[in-house]
Amino acid sequence: MNVQFKKGVLEICVLSVLAHKDCYGYELVNEISKRIDISEGTIYPLLRRLKDDGFVTTYLQESVEGPPRKYYRLTESGRTKEHDQKEEWMQFASSVNELLEGVANAEE
Amino acid sequence: MQKNEQEYLAILRTRLSGTLPQENLDDILSDYAEHFRIGKSKGRSEEDLYTSLGSPEEVAREIKATYMVTKAEETRSCGNILHAVLSTIGLGLFNLVFVLVPFIVLVILLGLIFLAGVMFSVMGPVMFVFALLPILGISSFDFWFSPAAGLFFSIGITSFGILMIIGDYYLARTFYYLGIRYLKWNINVIKGTESIV
Repeated sequence: MNVQFKKGVLEICVLSVLAHKDCYGYELVNEISKRIDISEGTIYPLLRRLKDDGFVTTYLQESVEGPPRKYYRLTESGRTKEHDQKEEWMQFASSVNELLEGVANAEE
Repeated sequence: MQKNEQEYLAILRTRLSGTLPQENLDDILSDYAEHFRIGKSKGRSEEDLYTSLGSPEEVAREIKATYMVTKAEETRSCGNILHAVLSTIGLGLFNLVFVLVPFIVLVILLGLIFLAGVMFSVMGPVMFVFALLPILGISSFDFWFSPAAGLFFSIGITSFGILMIIGDYYLARTFYYLGIRYLKWNINVIKGTESIV
């Protein structure tokens, strides 16, 4: 798939994962790269932008396996953004799917 | 070049030091150090983690562009917006067309409006003097319009020139604001390429 295309949806993916639960960076990166093949390194700059814009906050939490980890949590405005973008995406995706299936059916 | 944690962090540090404030840079490096640390604790090799992270140069370019754009947003200045535009262009070949070209066109447009404004507001007073001369009896030139009309016309032209300069300023401010928003969106969407250093 076009890499250009994937980067644009990375933000909604990050927001969506964080809407389910708070994550530390590695965990979040893993959740996303399990499903989408991307340069994992670019997720951190994205998280930083989300934090600067007030959609995400961070906190440190002790872990059993070593030093404390930096966790990311959605803020109230982050939740709103996630909700809005998800809805937009769902509508867009279903329209594209309908269109593609329509074209496929017409070809048969 | 070895693909290990040290190398990854070193590339980030070299590319970003001098641009970002030290504490910002330390914070960024610690994120990647944590990524490597946790990855290794899950049994992955440094090389594997490095490869999955992708090019550190690309990450550095993106961080730099984000920082420059934020800076230009916080402090409005010609230098800041220029740096923001240049660092965003560095993100990919695409942006030569989608960032550089519109930027140059806008700068030329704003410059031309400003020049025209200056021209009118200089021309006005000059005309005013020339129109005033015959009225004061120090007649000199023969105008195709009456001196009285000349006075009104020159005042009109002067005001028009000043309005153009003021309008140009507000136009520049609007474009600045929209430009920042566009650059922010652009950074989120444009995938870095290896081809531009």
